[in-house]
Amino acid sequence: MTTTVVGPPGAARARSTPKGEERRPRRTWAPYLFVSPFYLLYVLFMLIPVGVSLWLSLTEWVGLGTPRWVGLRNYRLLATDISFHRALGNTAVFVLVALCLVVPLALLIAQALNTRGLRVRDLWRTAYFVPIVVSPILVALVFGLVFDRQFGLANAVLRALFGSGGVDWLGDPDLARVSIALVMLWRWTGYLTVFFLAGLQNVPRELYEAAALDGAGRLRTFTTVTLPALKPVTAFVVVTSFIGAAQIFEEPYLLTGGGPAESTLSVTMFIYRAAFQRQQFGYAAAAAVVLFVLVFGLSRLFNRLLGIGRAAS
Amino acid sequence: MTRARLPLHVFLLLLFVGFLAPLVWALSGSFKPRGEIFGYPPELVPDPFTLDNYRSLLTEQPFGRWFLMSTVVAVVATVVSVFVCALAGYGFAKFRFAGKRLLFNVMFSSLSIPFAVILVPLFVILVKTGLGSPWFALIVPWVAPAFGIFMMQQYIVQSIPDSVLEAARIDGASEFGIFRTIVLPLLRPALGALGVWQFLQSYNSFLWPLVLVSDSSQYTLPLGLQTLFVSEQRQYDLVLAGAVLAVLPAVALFVLLRKQLLEGLSTGAVKG
Repeated sequence: MTTTVVGPPGAARARSTPKGEERRPRRTWAPYLFVSPFYLLYVLFMLIPVGVSLWLSLTEWVGLGTPRWVGLRNYRLLATDISFHRALGNTAVFVLVALCLVVPLALLIAQALNTRGLRVRDLWRTAYFVPIVVSPILVALVFGLVFDRQFGLANAVLRALFGSGGVDWLGDPDLARVSIALVMLWRWTGYLTVFFLAGLQNVPRELYEAAALDGAGRLRTFTTVTLPALKPVTAFVVVTSFIGAAQIFEEPYLLTGGGPAESTLSVTMFIYRAAFQRQQFGYAAAAAVVLFVLVFGLSRLFNRLLGIGRAAS
Repeated sequence: MTRARLPLHVFLLLLFVGFLAPLVWALSGSFKPRGEIFGYPPELVPDPFTLDNYRSLLTEQPFGRWFLMSTVVAVVATVVSVFVCALAGYGFAKFRFAGKRLLFNVMFSSLSIPFAVILVPLFVILVKTGLGSPWFALIVPWVAPAFGIFMMQQYIVQSIPDSVLEAARIDGASEFGIFRTIVLPLLRPALGALGVWQFLQSYNSFLWPLVLVSDSSQYTLPLGLQTLFVSEQRQYDLVLAGAVLAVLPAVALFVLLRKQLLEGLSTGAVKG
């Protein structure tokens, strides 16, 4: 097992350069020139917008004229805005779906695909990956049809299996969330499977042989060999899925428009709606800052818990 | 192990069918007349078979223009971003310099900044400074993804030995010359992987074009298809045909470069 871990310029260097060369620092501008295009773009299109977002969140602005300074008022309003609470709650549900359903299912499929002697592994792998190639709008419209109350494929399957369909997939608040969750499952599972599969193929075979010699069963082998070996991949997958699910937009926007009764309204949709449909730019910015604090803070926490970057030292 | 084979294959096959069914259904629907798309039971092979959906999509809708817009934007964004990422990845992988650790962490932590946070200010800034033209705004803000830099850095650390670079330096090559003539060619597989990934990101992006592009003559594919989808009478027949056509380049690219993409994507996560 290699020991380099996410975020490790130090570790990466230690692995690639023999110790002796470390002591010879080359004084040159070259590295700065190499990384400068990124930082130029980063400052212009990331840092400045984040700063502007912070400032806008303290103003009232309809997109025209001068923003009016209102201090923390937007945040106070958010604290009592039921729609925003719903958006936060729904987004939390989607994050949980990603972390508790999508990630484990991806791991399970990867395990299955990694079985020794499995034929046409490449075909399976490709098939699961295909949904990620399909654009969100296409996903949404295909699933819009699949979940159609009268004629959709989902109800057709139910009718064929149980003799009754007519489930109002997108019209019932709870089922609408289930439908979005199913779309997430369809869209992301294969993508994450690829990462787990690559991780599994990197586990040294001797570890499994040793476990077999010790008489470890399948479950024990999984918990003592597979899981520890997969830790870096899992960390990466968990953090990426979290960040992705926390800003879910296309699925609810296109499939349900956030409804019914805001049961699928996500935080990103809330921000979009406030800014571009209601011209409440300051309010939208405040909601964005809340999302930023939550996502940035929690992903730092995940990083720390899962040990990303720790092996750098 | 042999005992486990059958259930395993059944499990994989069921999932396989589940994953592909919606797409196959959509493909087959795109060849059915409007009234038949929702026929029950759903028929796999369209009967009657028709190309009318495609014909009216291509003649009655500006599909070609949407397609061109999306493709040009995605290709330019891909070429530029692959270059920017390779530069920065190389800088981080093969040099020691003051502030490197800090700069790397700053770059890496930008992965955790949700897009929704910069959505509003980015829109305001670009429109106010007159840079809101789709040709600029759909491309430039997205050409330096941290994920791409990280992927490049990991790949370079693992696959380009220092000795090659040292030898070139002793021969008197300039730093950029080394990058251009030695590093870039060696990076080809990683560039391919990042290229596909970046192309898909740009080609499929929806939220940012939705916010930015108001002039319907500059719609990208997802925006154009959305107008058919949300119009009064949902034009499912056209939408399905459009969906099939739109996904073709992405699928073609994926099939051509899938090995590279799958391996490239995992490089960062596994070794990382």
